[in-house]
Amino acid sequence: MLSVDALSHTYPGSSAPALNELSLSIPDGEVYGLLGPNGAGKTTLISAIAGVLSPERGEIRLDGQPLAEVRRRDRRAIALVPQDHAFYPMLTVRENLRFFAGILDLDGAAQAARIDECLAFACLVQVADQRAEHLSGGLRRRLNLAIGLLGRPRLLLLDEPTVGVDPQSRHFLLESIAALPAAGTSVVYTSHYMEEVQTICRQLAILDQGRVLLAGSLDSLLRNQETVLEVAGGALPPLLCERHGLQPGEDNSYRLSQAGTASLAALLADLAAAGIALERLQHGQRNLEQVFISLTRRSLRD
Amino acid sequence: MRQLIALWRKETLALWRDHHGLAALFLMPVIFILVMTMALHDAFMPGASIDVDYGIVDLDGSVHAQRLAAQLDGNSSFRRQSAGNDLAAGREAIRDGRLALVLVVPAGFGERLLLPSGSDGKPTAALTVMLDPALNPALRLAFQSQIAAALGRLRADELTQRAAAQFGLSFAPGLQARDWPEEIVSVAVQNTRDVRPPSSVQQNVPAWLVFAMFFVVIPVASIFIVERQGGTLQRLRSMGLSPTYLLAGKLLPFFVVNQLQALVMVLVGMKVVPLLGGEALIMPAGRGLFWWWVVAAAVSLGAVAWALLVASLARTIQQATIVGGIGNILMGALGGVMVPRFMMPATMQQLAEWSPMAWGLESFHQIMLRQGGLSEVLPGLAKLLTFALLALALAVWFNHRKMQ
Repeated sequence: MLSVDALSHTYPGSSAPALNELSLSIPDGEVYGLLGPNGAGKTTLISAIAGVLSPERGEIRLDGQPLAEVRRRDRRAIALVPQDHAFYPMLTVRENLRFFAGILDLDGAAQAARIDECLAFACLVQVADQRAEHLSGGLRRRLNLAIGLLGRPRLLLLDEPTVGVDPQSRHFLLESIAALPAAGTSVVYTSHYMEEVQTICRQLAILDQGRVLLAGSLDSLLRNQETVLEVAGGALPPLLCERHGLQPGEDNSYRLSQAGTASLAALLADLAAAGIALERLQHGQRNLEQVFISLTRRSLRD
Repeated sequence: MRQLIALWRKETLALWRDHHGLAALFLMPVIFILVMTMALHDAFMPGASIDVDYGIVDLDGSVHAQRLAAQLDGNSSFRRQSAGNDLAAGREAIRDGRLALVLVVPAGFGERLLLPSGSDGKPTAALTVMLDPALNPALRLAFQSQIAAALGRLRADELTQRAAAQFGLSFAPGLQARDWPEEIVSVAVQNTRDVRPPSSVQQNVPAWLVFAMFFVVIPVASIFIVERQGGTLQRLRSMGLSPTYLLAGKLLPFFVVNQLQALVMVLVGMKVVPLLGGEALIMPAGRGLFWWWVVAAAVSLGAVAWALLVASLARTIQQATIVGGIGNILMGALGGVMVPRFMMPATMQQLAEWSPMAWGLESFHQIMLRQGGLSEVLPGLAKLLTFALLALALAVWFNHRKMQ
């Protein structure tokens, strides 16, 4: 388990901290999502875990050991896949993989075998001898991911790995990433695309302004006891709202707390009797966007 | 070690595919060496012909006037062309730019060759030189000196012949038409033996080699900035690669590139320049060659360290190109690459002391022109190595800071 304890960091020249007493526990064997708008602190947190940034305060441990110690024992234990295309455009796909394998100190036979595995995993065999600068955006993202997997890391840090790719490549990447825990690689996945996080992460944390707003399993975060309904044709009669305990919201929406099956059935019957058309009814679950808005009053993509 | 090999291989592949970088490192200095060697060919060669045409208007028509012309033909560094038979034709030839100088031999020149003006109560008409007003004054003086020398030889010949006739001495036939050998030979003083002064190729090959070596700044910075901007440095750092290793990974490939540059430039000087009519580069032999290589290695260390410093400081490839390129041109201009130091005024020569290119060039000249050894090149080597260490330390420090 990766535990982040009271991590704080402010970049030189910035008045606001990028990380502000941030604490988090990330379990093994999962794809763990870090969700938050731009500037929330996701990349700074990832950089601190990857060891490329020394935070001013706080500590990070992997399985109870300080990160520096883990890295000293096995520098392939944690791998970073940065947001940018972090490889050499003038080298071919295979040359890039060979270079980074050399940096990871993989020796001859193991190196060749691992390069072939990574090429196959990322479906890059066909373009192995093409220069990286000639690859499409989707193939570049796959190469970025393949390099991260060269050292069979225990923990893979993915920083917005699907930015700027077509839907087909995104689907391929998400499927590949979702399969990694089964192969022994835990994943920390940052994104501001809530649909992606909802698709592949079972555990996640929502960050904003360098803090954890909410953390836990996806199910628990999305579970909602509040019923939301939207009606057409103007506001509901006050008497009806009073009878069923409806709280008016924005745009003809109403909220109903702790609605049971019987009370919900009674409400729907009254609406039908009054001839009021129902446009939307949401019960039991909400999406991540709504969770975020309810926490911050801001959209994830702000 | 595997990390270093991976880094060296990557740098080599990246440079091999950077055609602009290769052109800047190899093609540009070869062109400069060929062009500048041929352009400055005569400026470095004593007694070589001067690219200025002159003519003679002979108003005398005597045998003495013809012998004066023959003397000038045989010994003058200027090129003789036809100037016509009268003053007007001579003036016209200068006015239309065909000739820069016209020597007018006055009527009665031969008759009064040994009579000083007025010694017999009659005036002696002087030799006149008509010239293009745009002609370099030094060339005008050189031409007048050559006429004076030819005139002196002519008078000496005439006196010898008349004295021989007076005293009944036999006189070898055809002596008056003999060629007078060049009686003044320039000799450069060196430590062990005397040879002629440096040729154009000996000035230009080391000069443009030093200049070209410093141009590794362009490919070094390009690759480094691609690494930084693309997040590759961040990835390498996360893989546990230290900034010192990263810089060491760049040092060796570009050191080798610099040595290849040295080999190519020397071969161009030895083999290609003679094909174009220039003098072949003479390289030192034995221990001299070893010290020559030591100087090349020190220049290379300075150049690569400077390139790493520029690459560490610059944020964009444009910045690196401007800082590195202009920095190199300034160092070259100050250091005697474009204009040899001995042609500079004293103040500029003092300023040149601050250019690393001057340290390298001066050390090369110590070996190639003065047969110098370690003691002669030690000051230059010490300055270059100090410069390299300082630049390298600063580059490491800046990278550590940026990576944090």
